Amino acid sequence: MSEVPEELKIKQKFPNWYDWIEPIKQEDIKPGFASYIALPKQVNSEFFKMPFGDVERDVFSEDWKLPENWKEILLDAFKETLEKNRAFKVFMDICVRCGACADKCHYYIGTGDPKNMPVMRAETIRTVYRYYFTKAGRIFGKWAGARPLDENVIKEWYYYLFQCSLCRRCSLFCPYGIDTAEVAWWGRRMLSRIGLNQRFMCISIEASSRTGNHLGLYAGGMAGSIEQGLSELKDITGFELHTYINKPGADVLFVAPSADYFATPHWYVMLGYLLLFNELEERYGITVTWSTYASEGGNFGTFHSYEAAQLLNSKIYKEAERLGVKFIIGGECGHMWRDKHQFINTMNNLPKNPEWKKFWDDPDLGQLSDKLKGINLGEFISGEHGWIHVLELVAALIRHKKIDIDPSRNDHWVATYHDPCNVARGMGMLEEPRYVLRNVMNKFYDMPEHCIREKTYCCGAGGGILAEELMELRMRGVMPRMMALRYVVKKFGVNIMLTPCAIDKAQFPVAVEYWKIPVEIGGPMEMVGNALVLTSFGEKPEDRKYDLRGTPIRGEE
Amino acid sequence: MSDALYVFYILPYVAFAIFVVGTIYRVINWARSAVPLKIPTTAGQQPTFKFIKRTWLDKIDSPSNKWWAFVRMLFEVFLFRSLFRNTRYYIEKGGKNVDARWLWLFAVLFHYSLLIIVLRHLRFFTNPVPNFVKTIEYLDGVLGVAIVPPLLMTGVIALIALAFLWGRRILLAKERCISLPSDHLILFFMAVILVSGLLMRYIVKIDLTYVKMFALSIVKFTPPSPEVLANLHPLFLVHFTFVCITIAYIPFSKVMHFAGIWFSPTRNMPNDNRMRRHVNPWDPNPEVPILAREGITVAGVTYKSKKLDWETYYEMYKDQLDEIAEKNYTLKAEEF
Ligand code: SF4
Ligand code: SF4
Repeated sequence: MSEVPEELKIKQKFPNWYDWIEPIKQEDIKPGFASYIALPKQVNSEFFKMPFGDVERDVFSEDWKLPENWKEILLDAFKETLEKNRAFKVFMDICVRCGACADKCHYYIGTGDPKNMPVMRAETIRTVYRYYFTKAGRIFGKWAGARPLDENVIKEWYYYLFQCSLCRRCSLFCPYGIDTAEVAWWGRRMLSRIGLNQRFMCISIEASSRTGNHLGLYAGGMAGSIEQGLSELKDITGFELHTYINKPGADVLFVAPSADYFATPHWYVMLGYLLLFNELEERYGITVTWSTYASEGGNFGTFHSYEAAQLLNSKIYKEAERLGVKFIIGGECGHMWRDKHQFINTMNNLPKNPEWKKFWDDPDLGQLSDKLKGINLGEFISGEHGWIHVLELVAALIRHKKIDIDPSRNDHWVATYHDPCNVARGMGMLEEPRYVLRNVMNKFYDMPEHCIREKTYCCGAGGGILAEELMELRMRGVMPRMMALRYVVKKFGVNIMLTPCAIDKAQFPVAVEYWKIPVEIGGPMEMVGNALVLTSFGEKPEDRKYDLRGTPIRGEE
Repeated sequence: MSDALYVFYILPYVAFAIFVVGTIYRVINWARSAVPLKIPTTAGQQPTFKFIKRTWLDKIDSPSNKWWAFVRMLFEVFLFRSLFRNTRYYIEKGGKNVDARWLWLFAVLFHYSLLIIVLRHLRFFTNPVPNFVKTIEYLDGVLGVAIVPPLLMTGVIALIALAFLWGRRILLAKERCISLPSDHLILFFMAVILVSGLLMRYIVKIDLTYVKMFALSIVKFTPPSPEVLANLHPLFLVHFTFVCITIAYIPFSKVMHFAGIWFSPTRNMPNDNRMRRHVNPWDPNPEVPILAREGITVAGVTYKSKKLDWETYYEMYKDQLDEIAEKNYTLKAEEF
């Protein structure tokens, strides 16, 4: 881990255009902010092969070992990007540099580095666009805000495009909807054509393309981990629970981010899923299966390029078809839901199994069990997609009184909710988690209005920034969220921040320790798991003595 | 000498031609690029189960179909919806977000004043002047009747707003930093046009009869007499020239945002990804992922990734997968 100083100074600098149009130099690339470049074993692997990935590169050395004709290749990629993505092209042309996006980026707020303003992050690319693709740029050069490519420009791209978490907060405030995340994402794609890939995300992309999940877990490991979870649940609830994995003929496929199988506090969310599925099976006969092949809900490919994203998410519909399921439930994860809401059904063909087709003709859960009649997924989902978020499902189950809930089991928690960027701005699931939380617990408070719902601040670690070597950037980027959190901790005595996002759950525990805020981190499904009364197993509300963390529920008596 | 003045008669045609051709070229150019993904920025509660309430704003900001997406566009284009969220972050005030919708206000004032001013100018190009133009001018002048000629609000408002929008680019550090010369250039054009126009009307009070004759000759495609040209006031010629330059400059500049915004996928696409599949025109049948299908070709070399389909996966991890199958795909609490 790179050392983060005890005290962070935010030095704001405001160079004029004449100065900043000059690219940064090697000595400006600082540890704590610069991502390591991917190694051959990640990007020259059999399952994930990127151009010029066979060379080891060091971000801190003067020589980045670019391929000989890198300029030509990059310009070709640039041209291709302009043709392949209208958003990118339009965003190159219509920014008026009004600055509305500038102070909306948590990295700019936390670092004060002018090139971390979204407008400037995009401008690092736009300046090159003007030089090669507009007449004015060619003729007037610098005075038209244009600059030619050289190695330092590439270094500047790499340095700043990988200081963006693709959170899209900037796009919310831009009067033209310019989405700097889109520019950064396709900019990264261009860099990948000349051998520059970020190491952290490529470790996971490679693992996922080879084993099915980011952690590189083998089938046996994943199954063992879930069994471990079932053992813990036996201790907590006293019931023999079970679950399915790779089961042909199951009703539903469940896909969660792989961190849920191992990491803490993700683990408690995993226990929550298991409780829910057991109750659903016992009560309604619904069989939910996990898959070791489609064992990853997250998709670090979405941080890299269209193609990498597709490589990873291509397994899931295939697995749904192989197993013959009717629909897919997705677990708690942020960028996963950008992928699963906006990308997956464009990047892949849909399952063709008859069960799927039949279910989606009239997607009422009554098809699975008469007692569930009335919960109709067709209100907002069709067979052209087929995914429902586990929290949407829980909200509907609560609303229709299909599961029994005892919110008082969560009385030892005072919670607030962090909207994951992608769930908020890439999907729009704002109210469902709150609906669930208000029902499964009694003490729930939102953070101030300017930093929740669609205006939510990023955790500072999305988009591939969760890397250890970026610790200082992460601790700076998370600052706005921490300030808001501190406010509700002081005001309402909040002791847990819940977030349905695997990256948040990895970033926040480190962040609250660094920022010295006494709160726990968890996910909404953990609270659901606590409150869920396993009525069909004969459980009474007061039977549960411990929550999923093993803490006594009703205090020491 | 008077012959040379015919330059001013030619100028608007040239400017207009550049504007039209340029704008069409830009728009076609955008339209020709593919839209690979449906990527609206969802700025409100998504369409969902009926029991979750969606306000009318949610319906606009997170549109559930093309119609609502169109409404969202109208809100964006005519009411500057996104700018209406604007805040400013003050690090020196302990990281407070302060409402900064003055930017919205001045942007609205500026753009709408300009629109009205342009409409008002129709009175030079029409004979008789249509009633709606007269009405606009009347309404515009109600507050300033005490002054002769009546002080038209929009001219003044536009000037103030312009001073404001330029002022922030000069005085505020962040905005100064991000401003390029071209950002100042267009503001400079606007300033010359506005100031010369106001001077003509209120201070110099030039004779407008010749101006009107000149304007009519342009729309009627009949060259004006040398007399008309000779009597055009120099201040008018400055005003006129800069208007033409600006019009011709538009297609090359960021002013194209007026057209570009209609093409912005984060705003013009509905949030109905889970209802209707979007097809990527350059990847319409993605049975196999691109990287495993054709790979990436760079400088003549193709880089292809091996595909991890179920069969490959099964071969690789056969033992473990068979073990799972033996348990009848069921996991239970471990026995210790
Ligand atoms: S808000 Fe939009 S138009 Fe304004 S500077 Fe940012 S990206 Fe450019
Ligand atoms: S997407 Fe997020 S991190 Fe990236 S520039 Fe925009 S606000 Fe900053």
